[in-house]
Amino acid sequence: MIMRRLSHPLVRLVAGFVVWSVAFVVLYAAQALGCAYGWGDWHRPILWLLFLLALVPMAWLALPGPRHDHQHALHTAAVWTNRAALLAAVLIFLPVTFASLCT
Amino acid sequence: MSERPSPIALHKQLDAIWGTPPGLARLSSVNHTILGKRFMALALCFFGIGGLLSMLIRAQLATPDSAFLGPEIYNQVFTMHGTVMMFLFAIPMFEGFAIYMLPKLLGARDLAFPRLTAYGFWCYLFGGSILIVAMLAGVAPDGGWFMYTPLSSKPYTPGINADVWLLGITFVEISAVTAAVEIFVTILKMRAPGMALARMPLFAWYMLVTAGMMIIGFPPLILGSILLEMERAFDLPFFDPTRGGDPLLWQHLFWLFGHPEVYIIFLPAAGALSTIIPVFAQRPILGYRAIIAAIVAMAFLSFGLWVHHMFTVGIPHLALAFFSAASALVAIPTAVQIFAWIGTLASGKPRWDIPMLYVAGFFIVFVIGGLTGVMLAMVPFNTQAHDSYFVVAHLHYVLVGGFVFPMLAAIYYWLPHISGRQSLYRLSIPAFWLILIGFNLTFFLMHLTGLMGMPRRISTYPSNWGWDWLNLLSSVGGFILTMGFALVLADMVLQFRFGARFRRDPWRAGTLEWATATPPPSYNLAAIPHIEVRADQLQPAQIGPALARGDGYLSFAHRGEQETLGVNMVTGAVEHLITLPRRSYLPLWTALATASFFLALLFRLYWLAPIGALVTLGLFLVWPVSLGEKRDKGHIDIGRGVSVPPDAEAADNVTVLANRTALAMNATLFASLLFGGLFLLVVAPNWQDTGAAQVPLWAAALAILAALSGAVLAARARQGNARGGTTHPGLILAILAQLVAMASILAAMLWLDDPTGHARQAVPFVVLGYAGLHCGLGAVMSAHALWRLTRGYISARRQTEMVLGARWNAYAAGAVILAFGLTGILSLGGTV
Repeated sequence: MIMRRLSHPLVRLVAGFVVWSVAFVVLYAAQALGCAYGWGDWHRPILWLLFLLALVPMAWLALPGPRHDHQHALHTAAVWTNRAALLAAVLIFLPVTFASLCT
Repeated sequence: MSERPSPIALHKQLDAIWGTPPGLARLSSVNHTILGKRFMALALCFFGIGGLLSMLIRAQLATPDSAFLGPEIYNQVFTMHGTVMMFLFAIPMFEGFAIYMLPKLLGARDLAFPRLTAYGFWCYLFGGSILIVAMLAGVAPDGGWFMYTPLSSKPYTPGINADVWLLGITFVEISAVTAAVEIFVTILKMRAPGMALARMPLFAWYMLVTAGMMIIGFPPLILGSILLEMERAFDLPFFDPTRGGDPLLWQHLFWLFGHPEVYIIFLPAAGALSTIIPVFAQRPILGYRAIIAAIVAMAFLSFGLWVHHMFTVGIPHLALAFFSAASALVAIPTAVQIFAWIGTLASGKPRWDIPMLYVAGFFIVFVIGGLTGVMLAMVPFNTQAHDSYFVVAHLHYVLVGGFVFPMLAAIYYWLPHISGRQSLYRLSIPAFWLILIGFNLTFFLMHLTGLMGMPRRISTYPSNWGWDWLNLLSSVGGFILTMGFALVLADMVLQFRFGARFRRDPWRAGTLEWATATPPPSYNLAAIPHIEVRADQLQPAQIGPALARGDGYLSFAHRGEQETLGVNMVTGAVEHLITLPRRSYLPLWTALATASFFLALLFRLYWLAPIGALVTLGLFLVWPVSLGEKRDKGHIDIGRGVSVPPDAEAADNVTVLANRTALAMNATLFASLLFGGLFLLVVAPNWQDTGAAQVPLWAAALAILAALSGAVLAARARQGNARGGTTHPGLILAILAQLVAMASILAAMLWLDDPTGHARQAVPFVVLGYAGLHCGLGAVMSAHALWRLTRGYISARRQTEMVLGARWNAYAAGAVILAFGLTGILSLGGTV
């Protein structure tokens, strides 16, 4: 089902950043929930885990997939967009590994 | 085979179908060319009003201790300046431009929903008028254009000033919401045959992404406005921290819209630049694919940096780091576009003309704004410069650089298309220099006043703080800038009156809009072309006469209908024939009914508001009465030896896509509401020892069961209809099920403790109200399908209404489950 949808050029074009958006919301929510409900020593490992989990599909999407010749331009644009999403995820989410969590 | 009519005869036949008669009948126009021009003309009027207000601001601040305007009036003036420029000028201006331009650029004869365009225009006019009349009456909003609570809450703004903003802007935003759906559907489904996505001109790509951003970006603002108005009108405490609310919720909802909004304004302008620059560089745009990637990246990243407007409210370092990194990173896709434009110019053979002056002005001003944006993305600097005139300078460099300069380039480039005449040039060049010098004199100095500590929104300042001469020069610059805009206005008027006429394509452009006659006829193109190359590398001067002769699709008028084509979203292969509705007064009447709803709320005639809402809904249901077919037509000839089914017989037609888009927008609003509830639960103060939000289990179970049944029954009715079976009983049962769900939800809402007492009660009250409303809408959609079925408009092939009924009922069921889910969460932890 997911693979079939990803074969749609428009879906593939936005897929990386959709994952990025979901990861952004989940990490931001996990940061807030951890502070509100006192996750203590578990807080940062959970954020680490979520960070790494988010990178897996984004790394996969950043690989060039099968392409159809009549949509060559879209295919290239999608690969670049998904690579941009991966880069954005690494740079923007990296602070979960070191920044102070609740202060 | 009938003989092909002459181009003039074909023009007369098509114009008789598509044209709008003169006189009062103009009020019934639904034509995109007319409505696009109306949008832009009205937006320019509001630009004039906003500009006048800015002159008042600069007159007040020109000298220290000024008594020109009192602080009360000054508060209204600066609030209205920002509000008018953002909501009544910038957004409607690009909407109007897209409404005018997109069908021509894509090779369609109109937008997907012409009546919706007209309805949006009337909402814009009436909503904007509410704000302006309030200002003339001295009760304009006065809490700043972003209306922060608690300043805009009832205790601190007891008059109707804040209500004018909340209701007026929400009314205007209807036009943005309708435009977003229209633009999205039109770009995806109504391009000329052969225009695959990969061949689409960049302006259409920019507008597609902009429309997608509007679909996600506007609902949080609309939700925030509804919640604040409910707090002000009915005392439901969403933003009152003493009763479990939180002012920061408003800031989150506002900036979740507000920051993407900057890019929503910039992207259409960048689309215009990506169209204009290759024409004057005399070569195709460099980096077409990289620009598409950059637009998509920019759109998403712009949603991930709203909190940089809230860096000083006291949030943890980790969250600061998130939003700071995203704010800095968004500069990269912006830079990709800027380097693509510079590269295009550098590798082409640039010829200079008036539009290119403004393109140069854009580069200078916008790059400065972008760099100060990166400075403000850094938390330590932001903390120092927050709420100072440095921010005022930055936002004007970004918005004027990123929107007004490209808009002026676009006006000089495309006004000949509207007027059919070329620019006179005498005033154009001095106007440009006055604008460039005036703008930089006004706003560059504000960086300095800001760094010297001058806070924004103050009405006076003492004379011994070193701000005097900078403010005086800023004010002088402001008046020079106004003179420049006055010259542009005069230049536009003179062009219409004295400009030299031309035939087609005066700029030797590569896009399809220049293939129309100028000014364009009501139907745009006498025939719809087949596109075989990228659609920004066409030769309109050759294509235009061929299309006027009728060389293309639909080059006839014998069916007497407003016809255009629907294509496959990706490949551009022609798929169906779209018959658009004719002109009608219904959009005007519906907008007037909508106005009665908003005015009733504004003047606190709460008994009248539901009547206004019901009349509006009733009028919407009248819209499709005369539309549709009572028999299956099969394939219809569209010329060039091709036959396709009508839109109503296509599974993936424009109405279905528009409803999917509307539901996505609706889901964003609901998600924002759920986020708001959870945000208050987790973050807001005073949630300890409050009563749990309790609803009876039977009501929750019955509501969920009934709503799910309604969804299943509507879906099965749709499947039965597709098989040619009887569907009346299924639809009737679906309606009854949703009515039962509504009643159960109402019982649950009444069971809650006083919703004005605490947000723990107010949030489920509103969330359940939303779910109940959608059960009602599910019932209405099923009833509508039943009515259309009874009248013979639905068959196994024509099943649009059945699809819509199934979708809305499924959405209602999802909303009910999530609403009770949130209510359940809010019942945990409270005292029973």
